[in-house]
Parts: sequence; structure tokens; C-alpha cells
Amino acid sequence: MKSTEHSKSFDPVSLEIMWSRLISIADESAAALLRTAFSTLVRESNDFTTVLLDEDCNCLAENSGGIPSFVGVVPSTVKAMFEYIPIKEWRPGDCLITNDPWFGSGHLPDITMASPIFYREKLVGFSGSIAHLPDIGGVGWASDGRELYEEGLRIMPVKFLEEGKENKIVGQFIRSNVRVSDQVIGDIYAQVAAQRICQNGLIQFLEDTGLPDLTELSTALRSRAEAAMREAISALPDGSWMSSLDADGVDERETHIDCRVTIKGSDLDIDFEGTSPQVASGINSVMKYTYAYATYPIKCALDPDSPRNEGSFQPITVQAPEGSILNPKFPAPVAARQLTGHLLYGVIYRCLAQIAPERVCAESGSTPTLRSVYGGIDRKGNVFNQALFAAGGLGANSRMDGYACTAFPSNTGVGSVEALESVSPLLVWHKELVTDSGGPGKFRGGLGQDIEIEVRSDHPIRFSLMSDRHKYPPRGIAGGGDGSCTVVQLSDGTRPNQKARTMLPAGARLRLHFPGGGGFGCPAERDRAAIENDIRKGYISLEAGKKHYNYEP
Amino acid sequence: MSGYKKIGVDVGGTFTDFVLVDEERRVIFTGKQLTSASNPGIAICEGVERIATKSGLRIDQLSGIVHGTTLVTNTIIERNGAMVGLITTRGFRDVLEVGHEMRYDLYDLFIEKPEPLVPRERRLTVTERIDRDGDVLKTLNENEVICAGKELVDQGVDVIAICFINAYLNPEHEMRAVELLNKHFPNMPITASTVVVPEIREYERACTVTANAYVLPRMRGYISDLEQKLVDMGLNGPLNVMLSGGGIAALDVAQESPIQMIESGPAAGAISGAYYGKITSSDAVIAFDMGGTTAKMCLIEDGEPEHSNSFEAGRVKRFYNGSGIPLKVPVIDLIEIGAGGGSIAYIDAMRLMKVGPASAGSEPGPVCYGRGGEAPTVTDADLLLGYLSPDYFLGGEMVLDIDLVKSAVEKKLAEHTGLSVTEAASGIHAIVNNNMAAVTRRYIAEKGRDPRRYTLVATGGAGPVHAYGLAKQLRLGRIICPLGAGVSSALGFLIAAPATDRVNSYVRRVDDLDPAIVNEFYSKMENSAITALLEAGADGDAITVNKRVEMRYVGQGFEIDVALPDGPFGDDLTELLNEAFLERYDELFGRRISDVPVEAITWRLTASGSAPHLTLNFDGQEIDKGNAKKGMRDVYFPETGYMPCAVYSRYGLSAGDGIKGPAIVEERESTVVAGPDTTLRVDDYLNLIIDIHYD
Repeated sequence: MKSTEHSKSFDPVSLEIMWSRLISIADESAAALLRTAFSTLVRESNDFTTVLLDEDCNCLAENSGGIPSFVGVVPSTVKAMFEYIPIKEWRPGDCLITNDPWFGSGHLPDITMASPIFYREKLVGFSGSIAHLPDIGGVGWASDGRELYEEGLRIMPVKFLEEGKENKIVGQFIRSNVRVSDQVIGDIYAQVAAQRICQNGLIQFLEDTGLPDLTELSTALRSRAEAAMREAISALPDGSWMSSLDADGVDERETHIDCRVTIKGSDLDIDFEGTSPQVASGINSVMKYTYAYATYPIKCALDPDSPRNEGSFQPITVQAPEGSILNPKFPAPVAARQLTGHLLYGVIYRCLAQIAPERVCAESGSTPTLRSVYGGIDRKGNVFNQALFAAGGLGANSRMDGYACTAFPSNTGVGSVEALESVSPLLVWHKELVTDSGGPGKFRGGLGQDIEIEVRSDHPIRFSLMSDRHKYPPRGIAGGGDGSCTVVQLSDGTRPNQKARTMLPAGARLRLHFPGGGGFGCPAERDRAAIENDIRKGYISLEAGKKHYNYEP
Repeated sequence: MSGYKKIGVDVGGTFTDFVLVDEERRVIFTGKQLTSASNPGIAICEGVERIATKSGLRIDQLSGIVHGTTLVTNTIIERNGAMVGLITTRGFRDVLEVGHEMRYDLYDLFIEKPEPLVPRERRLTVTERIDRDGDVLKTLNENEVICAGKELVDQGVDVIAICFINAYLNPEHEMRAVELLNKHFPNMPITASTVVVPEIREYERACTVTANAYVLPRMRGYISDLEQKLVDMGLNGPLNVMLSGGGIAALDVAQESPIQMIESGPAAGAISGAYYGKITSSDAVIAFDMGGTTAKMCLIEDGEPEHSNSFEAGRVKRFYNGSGIPLKVPVIDLIEIGAGGGSIAYIDAMRLMKVGPASAGSEPGPVCYGRGGEAPTVTDADLLLGYLSPDYFLGGEMVLDIDLVKSAVEKKLAEHTGLSVTEAASGIHAIVNNNMAAVTRRYIAEKGRDPRRYTLVATGGAGPVHAYGLAKQLRLGRIICPLGAGVSSALGFLIAAPATDRVNSYVRRVDDLDPAIVNEFYSKMENSAITALLEAGADGDAITVNKRVEMRYVGQGFEIDVALPDGPFGDDLTELLNEAFLERYDELFGRRISDVPVEAITWRLTASGSAPHLTLNFDGQEIDKGNAKKGMRDVYFPETGYMPCAVYSRYGLSAGDGIKGPAIVEERESTVVAGPDTTLRVDDYLNLIIDIHYD
């Protein structure tokens, strides 16, 4: 392809090749980040993203893996950076950094970085990345900070690299405010390396294609993605649908989310008017995080196949009242914003279920995820700090039962019990599916699991719990029943605060129940063979079979 | 090694391939039989008989037969293996079903996960527990083991697998359970996780031991039957098997641990790729094999294919990482994608052209076969572009219908998009190459290397057709096309060295290691590996042993392979490991982190014999000297459009011949395409070497 050819505009072949090449550049950038990052959240839980933006900050390609948290984040972060450092001051080799939750992806451990890309001395785009760092200072991973200031170091947009050289003052500030500074600074450099791969890839791409810049290509790509999403939205009837959700909230004060989805032609608006005001606990979800977790379920339900770029989200607008848990004001604490953000798909799908139930799924046991962190000193005198990752059951959908122990909308991998025991004094006595935990329905919710843990230490243990759904279970949809409720209980029967840090006695043993997902459709329509299979495998008890499905052996 | 006369047998899903090498006469013979699916041994025996006769040898003159099979992998894909029962630790009944708790496709709400090989009703638990130091926390309840065995027998299982938590640190309970079950159920095959794969991570270990159980009864029956038949036919030499890691082993490995044969065919392909790299003095090679439905790429550095310690079998969503059953098996590391001659081109919802992974297969096949295929494929595009000849496909055995192709491309691709037929065809060719280039680039990026230093070795029916386009996308300078693209992969069976792997888990921070323990298990591993090699017929003096250990930073879930010196190890082991780890980490990731302690996880040992050194410089082909040039035809290249291009017969080219591109070189199983910016030459081994000249 020589430069004379691109004026023919873009045919279905060259556009396909160029687009997949741009995605490939974002993927190579992601491979470099994965390869060089220390953070286990990056490595095992995909808690990062790499993106390629055009010169107007439109996102053209992002890495293919990834999690929903970062949808649409980087472009507006880069625009926010311009407010601090005007674009004319960006030089080749510069690399800007910020972790402000309102500019970035909603909590302090996520670092957003961006570098300008110049081609033939002209600015043609930006490479950007977000990664969850191993530490950011403050109280550590917990949901009970009362203000942002407790949650760690906040970095407003600043140059981390100036024309390729580290800004020593910035580096020093970060180093002196985090727990494992080598790892943290190292991971920031992993992002730098990833962005460099992206820059080189784009320059090579422009040379190979003969394009002078990305402008025309970007327009073509975004309009295709936008058209695909618009087509999917247009296929649904116009109208407005409402739904709401109650969550356990903080310290007996429940939180509430109201949602209205409005479709008009090819536009879709999601409005959270009526949602609870922000709280003095880290469950507040900043607007950009709200946006990411509101648009992700729409993409899954309506247009799952086309690759993402800015265009896909053009037809979707999201609003939430200022000062609410879905659009909190500074300095609201936000460390555990997933406890609110993950819930959004539930209300959005309950709206869509009124017009297109076949497109959506019920709420899941891991909506939101249950996280617990254990810290202290083991019997050999070593300090430990270990998080437990596990998932509840997937909500059922119009085609099949939910899978057991599979998270949605987050998608965090889970290490093995043996690996967990090998690095910490946690001993897992039991980790099995729980009979009858999935919501009944034509399609049953996926089963949740019980995990029983003994902390083998001679000293009291610090325990941080970030959870919900103790009172309000994951709900079924389209006539399906609810899944089970979360339980976290010590062997003496006491239940620690579901959103706080507490101390556990030495040698504590506790049981965590990760809920099952909600069911889909009326239980009376469930296939008899499926009921019998459930009973044979112990997914449901005979009693539940009789009760929910009128099953008679 | 004079007198070396061996047959390699590759049992595939459709065909069983044979290759016979006679070192003394320096000839290769090849053959093909339809696979006899119900009992693959029948086709093997017939084929062995035929190829031996063809070569003028008697069976009793053979020095051995090496054998690989897709039987194991297909059994898991097709889900037609044994009925397996699993006995595991109380509290851990659902390890197989819970898995990694992830969705492999973030945007697909209707994702399908692989069904566990053992359903819940056949997963039973018994009281026992080993802790993280390998100490017994709860003793094994023997009565429960016998009861569980009885219940499984009553359910009608064919085989029982055992997998206990932390057994990789202390196999005592698993071994006792095997003993008890053997005693009470003497005819029941039993397989224990610590025998098959004594490695940390219960999900992968349970998957591996149950997959092993799943294929075990069938493989045992078939292998012993085959051995008997071949002995009856007069075979004196050993019957060996190819393992997924690229080593040759004695039959008992296949009978105890058949899961180790899961990737034996592709492993042979990679080994032959390494061989061609070696004889053409290429340091860094991408072995590229493209067939009807898939393309496989393997990186080879200094003659060694990349290895991996794990493999994913039976993917529910083809080619989709994470959609299969993860196995801990030493394999040669390959990337596989749905790009082949049969890959179908279509216009997607975004009105972009896509190619694959869906394939027209062999029935109905590409449009040009004229067997009712309506969807344009890669082969169809290659025909339109002049790369393939309508009259010389499979050496002329099949005539291709170009008019059918034109109307199919017009109807399915051109009409809706405003593309001409030629643009659509060149689009298919470019897109499939682009797909392959993208995964290769990403794979190389994951290893932190630069693609441009590699030489492409192209095999398979479609490999040489697409090598030029792929090489240009990756900006590679050289392509090597061995003679007999379809056979070259089976050659791997005959040039692989006998090799065997041993593993042991000993999880410790390196500052807390006991060198005596390390020396003790390594000496046991070494003895057992060497014994196995001798049984597989290796020459004792030529055996080399190498040791590696998987290490990581404490708290980081990602291990890296670190090479170890020979040992035995003394008190400086801690220092030695720390330094080796940091050095390797720096090499891979470009950084040293010294404020985090390091731990060792899995200790590995590979013992290998010497590889047969083949110096074949022809393959029994008659060279039709002077009759190389067949004529001219119009061939499409992206830079020039259609242009007149010389067509050569591969069989008319002899060592030392040189050609200036563009050129088409036809052989029976494939066609070599070289663009206008290339020069071609034939080396002493009759390899066609194509150099691309970038300006």
C-alpha cells in the first residue's frame, strides 16, 4: 500500500487490515506491560489497559483483553491533563502521569499515563495506559476511609518523564509515599515501556501505510463502530424503562440506585436520577467509573462482536446526580468503588429485560465482588498480607443456566488454594459449591461457593472486608428467582463488619459464602431432565426441586 | 549411525502419515493411509508393510518405529473417552468445576465453558489433609477410600483418578490410596496426580490427572495391541512414542501417562522445523505450518524450539485462549490460529471483510473443488490470484474450477462492498496473512524479541503459498521451503532425541532452602530419568541432563524458568539461585527488583540422549534436470497487480540453481510463491531459499 492508494478512502479490506493492525499495536503494548509489571492485579487479574488515541484524543484501539473498568477513561484523562499542561508544552519523550480518581479510573491505585506520538515532527496521537499499582500508600486496600486523603497519595497531572528523562522530584515524591517503592516505580516504568512499544508501532504503521496521520482513518473507524452500535440500538423500540436496586450500604444505612433507560431512535440514555447521596465510605463511584460500568453491559447485550473504539459509545449517554454515590464530589472516599459500580448492570438489565429479555442476564453472586484481605505475622515470624479472590455464581440468561463461581461484570482470575497456602498462613479447609444457592428459573442461576479458612497465626490478624449482598440477594430476571445472600461468619458465630477493617483473634476460622446468581425465566418452565440432573449432581436438593419446580420423583 | 533405518508414523484424524529414512542409502520414502478410526493399529500395520516393501526393506531390518498420534487430543475434543471417577480431599469436590472462575471472553454473555471431564456425581471425597509444608494434618481415612472406590465401581467407572490437596509436596496419601484401590479392585486402572504431574496448583493437576484417566484405557489397549501386531510382523527394533515435549520415549510412558502424547504430531513438526533451520544455518526460525484449517507457528532459537510447561486441550471456542482444559504437560510451545486454505471469507456486521476461523474443511471444501462449497475461501483466492494452478493441484489429481470461484466471490464479497473480484481475492490473501502476522507479532512481543531477526520455514499445503506475504508483513528477510512440504513434518519423528522430563515441587523462599533436600530429590529424578532413557534405547554415554527451576518473587503469581548448573548443590545454593533469578528476570523484563524475596516452586529435570544426525541431501526424488521451467502465467502481486510470472517445477530444480523473482514453483503438495522483490536459490539439501530485498 503506497501513499497514492489511501486517497481512494477506505475499502472493507484495507480498513480491516489497518484496524486489526492498530488493535495489534495496542495488544503488543499490553504484552510489554504484562511482561514487565510486578503487580499481581495486572498479571493475574488483567487490571490494566493500553490504548491508542488519535491527535484529538479519540480512542482508536485498546488491548483485546482487559476488564470493563477502563472503558472510555483514557481519552478524557488526557484532555484533563491539558488543563494542567497545555498541549503545546508536550514534547517527544514526555510521559504524563495522574491517579486523580475523578480524572482517571476512580481510585488512587490506578495510575493513568499518556505520551504524545510525533510523526514527521507533527503530533499524530497519544499512547496511554492504566495499571493498578501494588501500593499507593494510605490505609491500604480497605473500604472504610472517610475521606480521599486517607486512601493514599494523589498525583495531579504532571510530567513523569521530560523528553525521556525522569522528573526526579516526581519520582521521589512517589517513592517516599508508598510501601513497596521498587515495585511501584518499576510498574510505572512498565507503563512507560508499554507506551514506547505503542509509539514505535504507530510510527511503523504510518510508514507502512503511507498515511500522513490518523485523522481520516480515525473518522472511518469510529463511524463504523458507531454505526454498528446505532444499528443495534435502533432495533429496539423507542421508550423509557425504569428499575431500581437496594444495596446493603454502610453501617445499617442502605444505599439505593434508581435507573431509567431511554431509547430514542439510535440514541440510548441511562439516567441514575434518584440514587442515594454520597457516603463517608469508599463505595462512591466517580462519574467516569459509573460511565464505564453503565456502558459495558450495553456493549455486551447489544453489540458484543465489534472491536471497541470511541465510536461504539458515541450513541450512549450516562447521567447521575452530582453528589450521589454514582457521581460523588471531591474529597469523597472511593477506594472500594467496585461495590457500587458493579451493581449497575443489574438495574440496566432489568430495564432492558422489559423489551429484550433474550439479550440480558440475571444478577450474579459476584455483583459486586467480595474481597477480603488478611494481614499479620505468621508462625515463622514473617509478615504476610494476603487477599482472597473468589467468585459467586453467574446469573442465568435466556439460553442457559449460569455457571458456578464465575464473576460478572468484573473478571478477576483466581489463584489456586495450593498457591495461596504456599505464600501465606491461610489454610483452606473447604471450598465447594453450595446446594440450592442458585436462583430458580427456567434457567437456574450459577451456584455460589463456601470457603472455610483458618488463619494459622499466633497473633491477632488484621482483616479487611469489602462486600455487599448480605441483606439483598442477587436478583433473578424475567421471572427467575433470587440467588443466595452473602455470609461472612467467624466460627463463634460473630459476623464482622461487611465494609470495614477489623481485628480477628489468633487462629481465627471463618466461613465465607459467595452467593449464587439469579435465575432466568419462570421456574415452571424448567425442563424436567434439567431438574433431575440438578438433583443427581446435588446442585439442588430434592426439597428445593419440590418447592420451586413442583418436581415429583 | 550407519544402518539407521526407521519409520515415523503420525496418526492423524483423517490420514496416517509414514516416513521411512534409510541412512545407509540416504533416502526417504513417504506414504499415507486412511486412519482406521476404530483401531488405528490396523492402518499403521498396513502402512508400515507398504512403505517397507516400497523401500525394499524387510520389517526385521528396521532399527525401530517412532509413533505419534492425535488420538489423545481427539478423544478430549470429541469427548468419547473413558468414564472416570475422581477421589479427592474432603472439602474439595468441585475443584474441576470451579476452575479459574474467569470468563475467557469479556463481552460474550452467552459464553460456554468446557464441561469437566468428571461430572459431580462421580467426584467423591475422603478425609485426609497435607499442609503447605508437606506434613500430614489429617491422616487418610482408609475405610472412606475403599467405600469411595466401591461407589465408583458400582457407578460403572472404567478408571479412577486420585488428586489430593498439597499431594505434590507429599504423595504418601495418594500412594496409599492407590495401594488400597489396587488391592480391593485389582482390575481397575488407577492414576494418581503426583505420578502424572507432581506440581503445585490443584485445578491444573486435577485436570491433568483426570484427562490422563480419560484417555488411559483406550491408549493402553491400543498401544499393547499395536506392539504385539508389529512384533508378529517381525519387528525387532523398539516401538517408541513421541511425547509432546519433543522427546522420544519407551512405550510404558504412553501406557502410564498417555496425556504426555497429546501434542506429539505438532511437536514433530516443530522438530523438523528446527532441523531445517540447522541445515540452513539459521539461528532464529519461525517454523510455519499452514494446512487446511489451521496455521501453527513455533519459535526456534539456536536449534531449540520454545518449550512450555502447560497446554490447553479441547477448547470450546476454537483458538480462544482460556476456553479449554488446562493441562500441565511439557509441550513444544506453538501458537495455533484458524487460518488455513479452507478458511472462509465473509463481510461482517461492520461491513469489513473477515477471514476465518470458520473453515470449509475438506467437505464441501473450497468453492474451486466443485463439491458444492459456496463460501469463498483462502484457497479460492489463491487460485484467482494465480498462485495456484487449476491443473496442477495435488500434482494434478484435482482440477480446480476458477469460474465457480469468480461467481462466488462476486456474489458473496464483491457485490455488497464495491470491491472488484480481484480486490476481494487479494483482500482475502492479505487479511489471512495479516491475521497470522498479528498473532506471531504478539507472541514474539510477549517474549520481548524483535520479529525481523527470524527466518521463516514454511511447510504444509498452504505454507509456501502464504510465506511470502506473511514474511513481508513481518519484514522478514528470508524464507526456507523444504522439499516435500507435506512430509517434512513427519520427518521430525526420526530426528528427535530420546528425552524425558521429571518434576518435583519444593516450594521455599530461597533463603530458607535445604540443599540436602534438593540434592536428594534431584538424584532420584536423575536416576529414574536415565533408567527410562536406557529403556527407550538411548546410548548411555551420550545422555545429557539439564536442570531448571521455576522461581518467582514472593507474592507475584508469575513464575519464570531459571537454568541451574549440574550440582550437587552446597551452602551457596541460596546465593546461586538469587543471582540466577535476578539475571534471568533482568534478561526477560529489563529490571531487577531487589527489595522483594524470591522463592523456588517447581524443580525440573530433562534428560536427553543424542539425536540421530541425518545428513540426507536428497529424498529419493528423481531430478528432472533442465526441465524446470513450465511456462508463464499471470500472477497477482500487491505492488504490481497481475504480471506475467515464470512457473517452475520444483522437481526440475537442482542444487545451486538460482532464479530472480517473481516466480511460482510448483510441487505436488504445495506451491511456492515469491514476489518481484525476491531472489531464489536451491541449496545442497534441495531447500528453496527465498531472500526478500526491501528497498
